[in-house]
Amino acid sequence: MTEIGKVAIVGVAQTKYEEDKIDQTYSELVFEVVKKLHNDLGITNDDVGCVITSSNDFNDGRTIANMAIQDAVGSVRKAESRVSGDGAFAFMYGAMRILSESFDTVMVVSHCKCSEVSQYLVNNTIFDPYYQRHLGLDQISSAGLMANMYMNKYGVTEEQAAMVVVKNRKNALNNPYAHLREEISINDVLNSKMMAYPLKELDFPPFSDGAVAMLLAKEDVAKKMTDTPIWFKGYGNCTDAYYLGNRNMTDLIGLELAAKEAYRMAGVNNPRENLDVCEVSESFSVHELMIYEALGLCDKGEGGKFIESGETEMNGSTPVNPSGGVLSSNPTMANGLIRVAEIALQLQGKADKRQVPNAKTGLAYGMNGICSQGNCVLIFGGEN
Amino acid sequence: MSRKKSQEKIFEIKWKTDLPYRYSIGKLAVKFFEELKENKKIMGSKCSKCGKVHSPPRAVCAECFIEMTVEDMVELSPRGTLEGFTVINYPFTDPATGGLRPFPYGYAIFKLDGADTYTMHFINETDYTKLKVGQRVEAVFKEEREGNIGDIMYYKVIKEEK
Amino acid sequence: MPKHDVAIVGIGQTKFRSKRRDVNIPEMIYEAVKMALDDAQLEPKDIDALIIGNMDHFEGINFSELMCGIEAAPGYLKPIVKVATGGTTGSSLAICGYHNVASGIYDNVLVIGWEKLNEGGATTGIITAFDPVWERPSLAGALGPLALMAGMYSAKYGITAEQAAKVTVKNRSNAANNPFAHLQMPNITIDYVMSSQMISYPLRLHDVCPQSEGACALIYANEEETKKITDNPAWFHAVETAHYYTFGTDDKMYDLPTATFASKKAYKKAGIKNPVKDLDVAEIYEPTSWSELSWTEALGFCKPGEGGKLLDEGITLMSGEFPVNPSGGVLSTNPIGATALVRVAEAAIQVMGRGEKRQVPDVEKALAMGFGGSLWTEILILGKEPMR
Ligand SMILES: [Zn+2]
Repeated sequence: MTEIGKVAIVGVAQTKYEEDKIDQTYSELVFEVVKKLHNDLGITNDDVGCVITSSNDFNDGRTIANMAIQDAVGSVRKAESRVSGDGAFAFMYGAMRILSESFDTVMVVSHCKCSEVSQYLVNNTIFDPYYQRHLGLDQISSAGLMANMYMNKYGVTEEQAAMVVVKNRKNALNNPYAHLREEISINDVLNSKMMAYPLKELDFPPFSDGAVAMLLAKEDVAKKMTDTPIWFKGYGNCTDAYYLGNRNMTDLIGLELAAKEAYRMAGVNNPRENLDVCEVSESFSVHELMIYEALGLCDKGEGGKFIESGETEMNGSTPVNPSGGVLSSNPTMANGLIRVAEIALQLQGKADKRQVPNAKTGLAYGMNGICSQGNCVLIFGGEN
Repeated sequence: MSRKKSQEKIFEIKWKTDLPYRYSIGKLAVKFFEELKENKKIMGSKCSKCGKVHSPPRAVCAECFIEMTVEDMVELSPRGTLEGFTVINYPFTDPATGGLRPFPYGYAIFKLDGADTYTMHFINETDYTKLKVGQRVEAVFKEEREGNIGDIMYYKVIKEEK
Repeated sequence: MPKHDVAIVGIGQTKFRSKRRDVNIPEMIYEAVKMALDDAQLEPKDIDALIIGNMDHFEGINFSELMCGIEAAPGYLKPIVKVATGGTTGSSLAICGYHNVASGIYDNVLVIGWEKLNEGGATTGIITAFDPVWERPSLAGALGPLALMAGMYSAKYGITAEQAAKVTVKNRSNAANNPFAHLQMPNITIDYVMSSQMISYPLRLHDVCPQSEGACALIYANEEETKKITDNPAWFHAVETAHYYTFGTDDKMYDLPTATFASKKAYKKAGIKNPVKDLDVAEIYEPTSWSELSWTEALGFCKPGEGGKLLDEGITLMSGEFPVNPSGGVLSTNPIGATALVRVAEAAIQVMGRGEKRQVPDVEKALAMGFGGSLWTEILILGKEPMR
């Protein structure tokens, strides 16, 4: 790989994440964030070079889900393309369009309304129609299998898992955009309804509606648009096996390799020392512990002890999910781009009550599929 | 192995996944269906900047990139001009019902008086030789309206010089 | 000027058919992937990243890139991204692949488009592309709007059904020279097309594209890697996309403004002043016979209203000055998620001079087009020499 050019995030906008935004179509959610971003940056649609969106046809109940949002993203007479899946992957496609020197600015938008369809059915269709789908697998049952194998191998406890939920829910109290904003206790998690052993109801995120947008720009344009451009530093993308039975279910190998690649590009030698803040797509409590290990924040099998150490709390050495993470807000397809947006806010020093002091380098992790099948790791820096 | 025998070994798995959705329609569409049901009115949305009247109504003027609200909705004439037509003459599964959509049926695009965009809907004519671009058309409403697009049963050709 | 020049260095296609009962989805895709890898003489380990697409609802598989990228292609422990934009899926994949390499992020990529259309319901799947409140209740898949467009185009310019039928005759007889094409009809006549069943006035059965199953795979590389792989690549000169309104009906539908927006930009980038003279061949996305005539106008191959005349004069025939769709086009082969990628593959084949019986002589520059969604267009221009 040759030397990578410069791309900056110049601004981000989010809707509030909610259980059921019944009064807005998803196109209206998209317009809300794109227009907000225009207003915040003092730009018009003419200042936007092209648009990359992320969505999922199953979630939206529309083939070519991006058709409905053309007016709302401002793509008249312009180029728009759609990454099918998580928004972190759309961010990277947007960045590539600047790095290829094809566009000066790119609007990246992701939306999801989980409220419009059964998420069980949407997730069940991820499994192949030949061997697995009959079994009725979805993200909850797969998570149960993964959590059981991981906890069994490394001796991680249900209490340790519950601490992740308690931390993220507590962080969400400081995030005005978050969906679930109430403090809960370890006992609340442990006593919640068993969903898929060893995981209980509160080990899982809610389903949310929402949208997020950000504007990317090349170096000179970015510096004109904002005093606080956030620079893209590193990227890794790695896909784990498709069949769960082919996976090493106790370690997130795909994420580990994606992170290594991103660290190499960004010059991160020691993630625990170099990363000031992380925003990760944790689909269930135990998942976040496994993510710590894959990102190299702690050793293999030490995820449980690591959460106990408090290092990932707001006042720890590497706060993870100051926004409250997916466990607090879960508009599934937008999760990765929300992680990027939250890191941008942290590095801009604009994260208000959830601000990590002096955050200079941050990591965002977006995921496609079930249990970290598709992994996109992005590193950002506040300094050029 | 004979050809027939090898084909016997090929089989398929049938899936009849039923994936129901519940779509939000937005505030402008709510108003549209209220007016349609209660007053037999067809509404569009008018951009406060460029004045373009959109049919069907929607929340964004793509050209100006500004919002249109329920306050920007205007009444359109139930009459318009036929711009294009076809007669659907093939079978397919209707995703709303899961059954076959009855055919043949007339399907047309027209511009309602007062609108700047075009509208697609049924036309009650299955003989395409009787249709001509430029003909005047008029909406035919259901007597017992329910507040959905089916309240406009179809458009019909009318004799009227404009 | 892009950071890196990008070339197509490997091409694979399946033989397209209406139904591939003999293989499942990954097995079908693997055929095209293997052919592309063999063509570039690369091993699976050599591939840096994969870009895959199809339309979710046609086969009913969510996140299909995870299944196909791993089970049908060398995606395990590699980057996989899915791009899906309807009819343009193939060209959107092709353009995404371009940016992956032109940006310097990857040295090479594998781009895969596929569809196994008869395993789901394509018309039903297409209906759900449209607005559930306003459009779906009266819509009949893609054909209804295409029929309206054909009728409006015909009414505007006096294009005749016979002129449209000539497109089918040209493309399906061209397809007889393309071993991968689905409908190959060397002896097809205008009468045969004009006496076929009227399925949606003015469209008769043989005025419209078939539904096909199959896959197409392309390997791209940057300038350095290309040198190592082949001395006969096809270089990207321009990639452009143009969209319009959410509702196709927001503007007149007798022409295709997005094809004009996108092609003008692409011609400027590729230094093309007169497309018919400066380009040597075009592979365009014509879902119906009428649309090829209309699109040739929108792409600037002739003046508005003269699409019929352009073909009447024989200019777009294989023997003409500027052949359009030597492969047989979409009227002969239509595996939706692969259709526009096949246009790019066939344009590359022409530039490489590897078209055998369908080869246009001395091709230096070729155009490929994708069309889909709410009447949006993508244009790619390929050339024998790199841009710089
Ligand atoms: Zn306006």
